[in-house]
Amino acid sequence: MARLFRMLLLGVLIVLGLCAWAWLGYLAVNWLGGVTLGWGWGATLGQAVAAIVFIQLLFVMIVATLLTLAERKWSAAMQDRIGPNRARLPGLGRFSLGGIPHVLADALKMISKEDFLPSQSNRVLYHLAPVLNFAPIFCLFAIVPMGPPVPIRHGFAVLVATLQIANPDVGLLYVFAIASLAVYGVSLAGWASGNKLALLGGVRASSQMIAYEVALGLGLVGMMMTAGTLRLDQMVQTQSQGLFGLSWLPAWGIFVQPLGFLLFFAAAFAETKRTPFDLPEGESEIIGYFVEYSGMKFGMFMIAEFVEIVTLAAIVTAVFLGGWHLSPAIDGGLASFAAVLVRWRFGFAEPTGVLLTLAVMQTAIFAVKVLVLCWLQLAIRWTFPRFRYDQIQYLGWRILLPLGLANVFATGVCLLLDPSLSLLGAVGLAEIGVGIAALLWSGAKSTQPAPAPAHVGSH
Amino acid sequence: MSDAPKPPPKAPAPVAYKAPELRPETLPERAFVPELLRGLAVSTSHFLRNLLFSRDPSPDVLHRRGPNLVSTVQYPEEVAPYPPGYRGMHRLVPRPDGNPRCVACYMCATICPAQCIYIEAGEYPQDPIEKFPRRFEIDELRCIVCGLCVEACPKDAIRMDTGTHCKPTYDRPTIVYGIDRLLKGPAVSHRTDVWFKREGSDPPADGHGHPIPPLPGEGKS
Repeated sequence: MARLFRMLLLGVLIVLGLCAWAWLGYLAVNWLGGVTLGWGWGATLGQAVAAIVFIQLLFVMIVATLLTLAERKWSAAMQDRIGPNRARLPGLGRFSLGGIPHVLADALKMISKEDFLPSQSNRVLYHLAPVLNFAPIFCLFAIVPMGPPVPIRHGFAVLVATLQIANPDVGLLYVFAIASLAVYGVSLAGWASGNKLALLGGVRASSQMIAYEVALGLGLVGMMMTAGTLRLDQMVQTQSQGLFGLSWLPAWGIFVQPLGFLLFFAAAFAETKRTPFDLPEGESEIIGYFVEYSGMKFGMFMIAEFVEIVTLAAIVTAVFLGGWHLSPAIDGGLASFAAVLVRWRFGFAEPTGVLLTLAVMQTAIFAVKVLVLCWLQLAIRWTFPRFRYDQIQYLGWRILLPLGLANVFATGVCLLLDPSLSLLGAVGLAEIGVGIAALLWSGAKSTQPAPAPAHVGSH
Repeated sequence: MSDAPKPPPKAPAPVAYKAPELRPETLPERAFVPELLRGLAVSTSHFLRNLLFSRDPSPDVLHRRGPNLVSTVQYPEEVAPYPPGYRGMHRLVPRPDGNPRCVACYMCATICPAQCIYIEAGEYPQDPIEKFPRRFEIDELRCIVCGLCVEACPKDAIRMDTGTHCKPTYDRPTIVYGIDRLLKGPAVSHRTDVWFKREGSDPPADGHGHPIPPLPGEGKS
């Protein structure tokens, strides 16, 4: 019981920390935007720089770094183990801090290891490949809106502060363009190592990533048609309304486009090169493309993988899970709660303050959704068995691609018949219903003939 | 040729293990996604149980209770108990006066298949009969804990009843145990022990300090 309360307390603390981070982020974006505006460079520059610091460096990098530890601790919990808890900070005695010192130990190890250069390697490309792999993935997060825009008066101007680094009209096309660049880093790493096995790993990786690019795009096309835009903030706005006019059922992408969600999630998971699709790496058996890399260069490949997890979670949150919105009813409740907070603090409901408080809470909601999706990806990675190589290609070209095309077609028909989202929502909920029915049926079928084991352990 | 009678089909050879029959896959199983979700439910339930509930730290893993399923024993802090039949590392049995019961007869060193026992015998100057070990060393790295020395000892001077194992060390010389580390545990006396027959000796007593009564035929000699 004590641990239960400790974990609940930890969850509350995490949410409060996210709120504090979002609050500081909004203030910094607003402040730096005003500064650069005063310098005559335009507010966008300062806002983007502040957003880069608060989103990329403070959120994405910290979450990705902690995910390297979470991967070990959470997989341990799923496999009835404890996980790493032996690295300890001096002066703290026997407290293992949940294993967080292991992150420091890992960083120390990677930085202090020999920077190995294989004799047969192509020197320039060998050094370039980790950067080419890391940079595009790190750039992907730039268009993800982590919080709603808040107009704040700034002298004579009104600056719209938002926790989003860039908001181009091309939106999701930027994601496709930049995500497909990462394949260069991977295949170059395999080629420049001067190692046949690494080259084979790079070839596996590039063919897999190219195969899943198509499904990645098609999975999102349905949602683009539904929202009628490519910009992520507008997509989030579309999902704030209620489905069928109900205030408790939000029009999230996962409800109106469940098939698109599955397709995109599977394809993006293949892009991250993690376990059901980890043939390019195959750490334990088949050698992957980064076999010749050591030290921090290997660390860049690893951290790129975790940054990709966070990015994928954020994009899925923005496109399919309603972004910072819960259902319309809960959103209204949050808004009145924000008004109550501001009135308690300042005596009257100052409109900007209410908006800012609401935005801070909604940013925390977005971040919590991202964390939950990160957990889901780790759970998938530690549950599913690895696909065979022909199964990967079969899944990509002969299942996901036709399903994606069918989904685009069905979405188009539904939108043509009913421009409001009601028909699409009905079809989506029917798809989810069929899925749940299949799940229950499969459970009933496969638990039936289970033979009784000879003796059962106490667990 | 086709008219030739076919040989009767061979009966399958009896096997000790009956393999479970493979049943054809159902449609949801072939659809793959429901099965994946069921697997995800299993690992999620394990995750939540192990995350939210505290671990029973009992070193007896099979008897841990509670919703937490972790079966790890954190070794230096928690030590799994040895089963009751385990005898453990040997010890040199002391007499009531604290000296070893060993009379340096070399029986154990002779029978030891690992040749890990080294004995140097000494003599009491006033006693021409009884010997004692000047050095009695067991190389614990070589010892295979077979117990033959215990069987061979005519004086009940070496026993395997400590229930512990040899502690690991960082260097080899410290793992050669001498009398100072082997001589431990409760003292043992037998009625036939020779020192009870000497002048002025204490009456025979067992390991707990209780006197041992003489045999009916055993008079005061």
